[in-house]
Amino acid sequence: MKLALPSSRRSGLALLAVLLFGGFGFVATRSGPLAPTRVTVINLTNVGNVTDGGASAIAIVPAMFGIGTVEARRAYQIGPTMPGRVLKVLVDVGDTVKAGQLLAEMDPVDLPARMAALDAAIMHASSGIVAAEAQQTDAQARHEVAALNAQRYDDLLERKFVSPSAAETKRQERVSTQAGLHAAQANRAGAQQEVGRLQAERTALLKQLDQVRLMAPADAIVTAREAEPGSALVSGQSVIRLMEPASLWLRVRVDQGRAGGLALGLPAAIVLRSHPAAPLRGKVVRLEPVSDSVTEERIAMIAFEQVPQGLSIGELAEVTLQPGNTAAGSNAVVLPNASIKRQADITGVWVSRNGELRFVPVRLGDASLAGMVQVLDGLQAGDQVIVHSEREIVSGSHLKIVESLAGSAT
Amino acid sequence: MSEYGIRIEGLRKRYGEGDTAVDALKDVNLTVAPGEVVGLVGPSGSGKSTLLKCLGAVIEPSAGRMTLGDEVIFDGAWKSRDLRALRRDRIGFVFQAPYLIPFLDVTDNVALLPMLAGQSNAAARQRAVELLAALDVGHRAKAQPAQLSGGEQQRVAIARALANQPPVILADEPTAPLDSERALAVMRILNDMAQQYRTAIIVVTHDEKILPTFKRIYHIRDGRTYEEAGEGRALA
Amino acid sequence: MISLAGRDILHSWGKFVLTGAGLGLLIGVTLTMAGVYRGMVDDAMVLLNNSGADLWVVQQDTLGPYAEPSSLHDDVYRDIRGMPGVASAANVTYLTMQVRQGNADVRVMVVGFEAGQPGEPGYLIAGRQITRSHYEAVADIKTGFTLGERIRIRRHDYTVVGITRRMVSSGGDPMVFIPLKDAQEAQFLKDNDAILNERARTAATPSLNRPGVPGLLEAVQRAQTANRYVNAVLVQVRADYSAAEVAATIRRWKHLQAYTREQMEEILVAKLIATSAKQIAMFLVILAVVSAAIVAFIIYTMTMGKIREIAVLKLIGTRNRTIAGMILQQALGLGLIGFMFGKIVATFWAPVFPKYVLLEPGDAVRGFVVVMLICTIASTLAIRAALRVDPATAIGG
Repeated sequence: MKLALPSSRRSGLALLAVLLFGGFGFVATRSGPLAPTRVTVINLTNVGNVTDGGASAIAIVPAMFGIGTVEARRAYQIGPTMPGRVLKVLVDVGDTVKAGQLLAEMDPVDLPARMAALDAAIMHASSGIVAAEAQQTDAQARHEVAALNAQRYDDLLERKFVSPSAAETKRQERVSTQAGLHAAQANRAGAQQEVGRLQAERTALLKQLDQVRLMAPADAIVTAREAEPGSALVSGQSVIRLMEPASLWLRVRVDQGRAGGLALGLPAAIVLRSHPAAPLRGKVVRLEPVSDSVTEERIAMIAFEQVPQGLSIGELAEVTLQPGNTAAGSNAVVLPNASIKRQADITGVWVSRNGELRFVPVRLGDASLAGMVQVLDGLQAGDQVIVHSEREIVSGSHLKIVESLAGSAT
Repeated sequence: MSEYGIRIEGLRKRYGEGDTAVDALKDVNLTVAPGEVVGLVGPSGSGKSTLLKCLGAVIEPSAGRMTLGDEVIFDGAWKSRDLRALRRDRIGFVFQAPYLIPFLDVTDNVALLPMLAGQSNAAARQRAVELLAALDVGHRAKAQPAQLSGGEQQRVAIARALANQPPVILADEPTAPLDSERALAVMRILNDMAQQYRTAIIVVTHDEKILPTFKRIYHIRDGRTYEEAGEGRALA
Repeated sequence: MISLAGRDILHSWGKFVLTGAGLGLLIGVTLTMAGVYRGMVDDAMVLLNNSGADLWVVQQDTLGPYAEPSSLHDDVYRDIRGMPGVASAANVTYLTMQVRQGNADVRVMVVGFEAGQPGEPGYLIAGRQITRSHYEAVADIKTGFTLGERIRIRRHDYTVVGITRRMVSSGGDPMVFIPLKDAQEAQFLKDNDAILNERARTAATPSLNRPGVPGLLEAVQRAQTANRYVNAVLVQVRADYSAAEVAATIRRWKHLQAYTREQMEEILVAKLIATSAKQIAMFLVILAVVSAAIVAFIIYTMTMGKIREIAVLKLIGTRNRTIAGMILQQALGLGLIGFMFGKIVATFWAPVFPKYVLLEPGDAVRGFVVVMLICTIASTLAIRAALRVDPATAIGG
């Protein structure tokens, strides 16, 4: 078609046509489902040494992470051993108490009266001892006299000055008074035992009176004041709760699936929720033998290197445990965990090997909290591992390799 | 070319039927020789336009006989099936106004008919350029119709009518909007073309300025034609 | 033979291009509407694909977890894992909520998943997967969050460690992935005021707050704040078993509902999207009719403007066929320009839409065919008018 138009018009139209067709072509091939998928890759120059791609500088530091709650290792619940009513509470939450300090008192009710009654009974019994002693003295005197008389009459009998019956009678008197003396002695012993019994009862009552006085078993801080004067409590309910501030530690829960390296003595980095900017140090001092099967967590107790001021029970903290580096010279490839994909049962990575896109199963080693994973085998030198992609990758995807996809860290 | 350019015998055109029938043309006889330019004059309502339409194979006459060149095109009924091809190949039209196709340039306006007739674009354009040169508008060959003056447009229209080398050209008041100088120029061109290409030309007109240029004039009145000799004044 | 239509277009190209542009906008809107529908279906498909699951196990008699709420105990997955044909089973939770970012809220779907199990984001465009068991998140790029940003979900702050793309709910809300336990707490643990209220009510209930049983009240209150529920269990089926078989077994023996991929597709597409699909279909029909009317009107007007030329052409011997062809070609040319313009415009404004607009090549081809058909039909009006023109009118009366 010969265009007999002035050239300015012709070039204007030509430009318009180029724009239209060019735009259309661009749109058709570059956007929508026909466009290639953009990906970022890591090139493995050699397998057998730690790879490049920025990963070689990072040795894998497998670490465990868990959330911990502050608890007191030594905490006490102070309360009565018998039902009763609270009489006095002498301390309040936050007070520091010394061992043996009186914290609260229960109402002794009838105990003092019973004590008075016992005291009176003891006095009464003491008087009984005096009486018994007097009786014993009396019986003793009689016996002595009777014994003398019996002896005298026995002598007289021998000289035939008295009748045998008289001597018999005096002998019988001696026996009688002896019996009487024994009886008086027994009485006296009994009166003393009575006093002893009453003393024992008194001791028992004293002990009971002691129970109504609630004392601090150790130097501690009061964490709760659970009953006020006048409240009626059963045995087992506490009036005051105490904790030893130096014994504060963390109960940390670690996912069972990642708790493989848990051991005593592991160093811990602790970040309290209330002070996220000031990390603390600690270490594992106890591993609970009973795990939580419902939440599937193992429980470890972490002690602070230095218990911080102002720590409260129930505070949350994030705890990172570091079992230690993997051997630095290990031969495994280290990849970012964004490249690890799971298809049904198989764990692997997408690689471009010899220009062909393949899903290669791999065996994984340790993983660090920073997102790097050891790959123990499955990869070859020269592989290009796909890390980030715009879309799900399937075999047959067209790929276009770029430096980074949108959304990288600022 | 045969002896007769155009030959019409006993042409009649009746509109309507029965009592209300009207004969626009009652008995028309005219001949035009190849190379001759003949005038057709008559008042309005005399049947001029009807005659032209019959000649142009646009309406069907009721009776009579029309011959173009050596081909009888109507003898009581159309002899040719394809009237469009007839008009395209055998009849050229020149109108009162140039009626050029505004979106084709001058050359293509003229080359259109030959292209429609099946010639190659190059050959058609070649012929167009020659015709335009002959008509003295060759320098405007690449222009758009809107850029031409009235006279130039009319000359392009004439070139278009000649493009397919038709044996007949029907011109309908071609000089009506022109002044005498221009009108005479158009008549001169028509005469030159007629002689050069041996075309029979009928010019329907009532422009008195050009009447003296005809050698023969047909008057038409009440549907009948009457021949008259004209002055045949030579054109400079 | 030259192309009369082409010459006419070139001669009044401004009018043509402008008209084509106007038509193009209309076509662009039509293509975009179709794209919105495709985008909705794609959202649903993407949601199902990204979960990586072959089966969805949900509460009995619900259409969950996307179409209806569903609640399961979180130890149900252990039973399922032991069933024949199950390769892996994992808990997931889904909760659509507002997440704070600075001063603004972003509407997201919070997904709770277990690392390494179905439900994990399948691919990232930046950053890494979650390594800690708490307080880390992977967010979709549509949320506007960046790597390293801290966002607040309910009571805790989470650090964004990875970014994904096209991870959206069926409603188009972008997803944020957090560890399952945190998600359970976010979904099932109420806010502080509610918890305090609950505690007070429990304390006021005499049967739960018995003075003679120390520790009972605390135990009951602890039980009330336990989060032992999830929304679904995602199951991957072993290669030698069919998903339908395993689903049937689960339904029968475990008093749970299990849906296969096809059933989930049907639920999402047929039920969730059905109303919108109908609306969009109606829009498309209306737009098609409007486009046809506009093209018909424009071509008719253009033709009417050329009536005299058409009469002259007919008179000097142009075939009807040629004239009709010219008009038809003009209509098709208009349609072509309009379509290309519309497709380009639609492609450029599609990303700006809040919902995902998916412009499929198949739709574009279909749209092109429809546009051409409409232009052809619309031109018949003008062609009829042109053919009726009497060539004799060129010869004055």
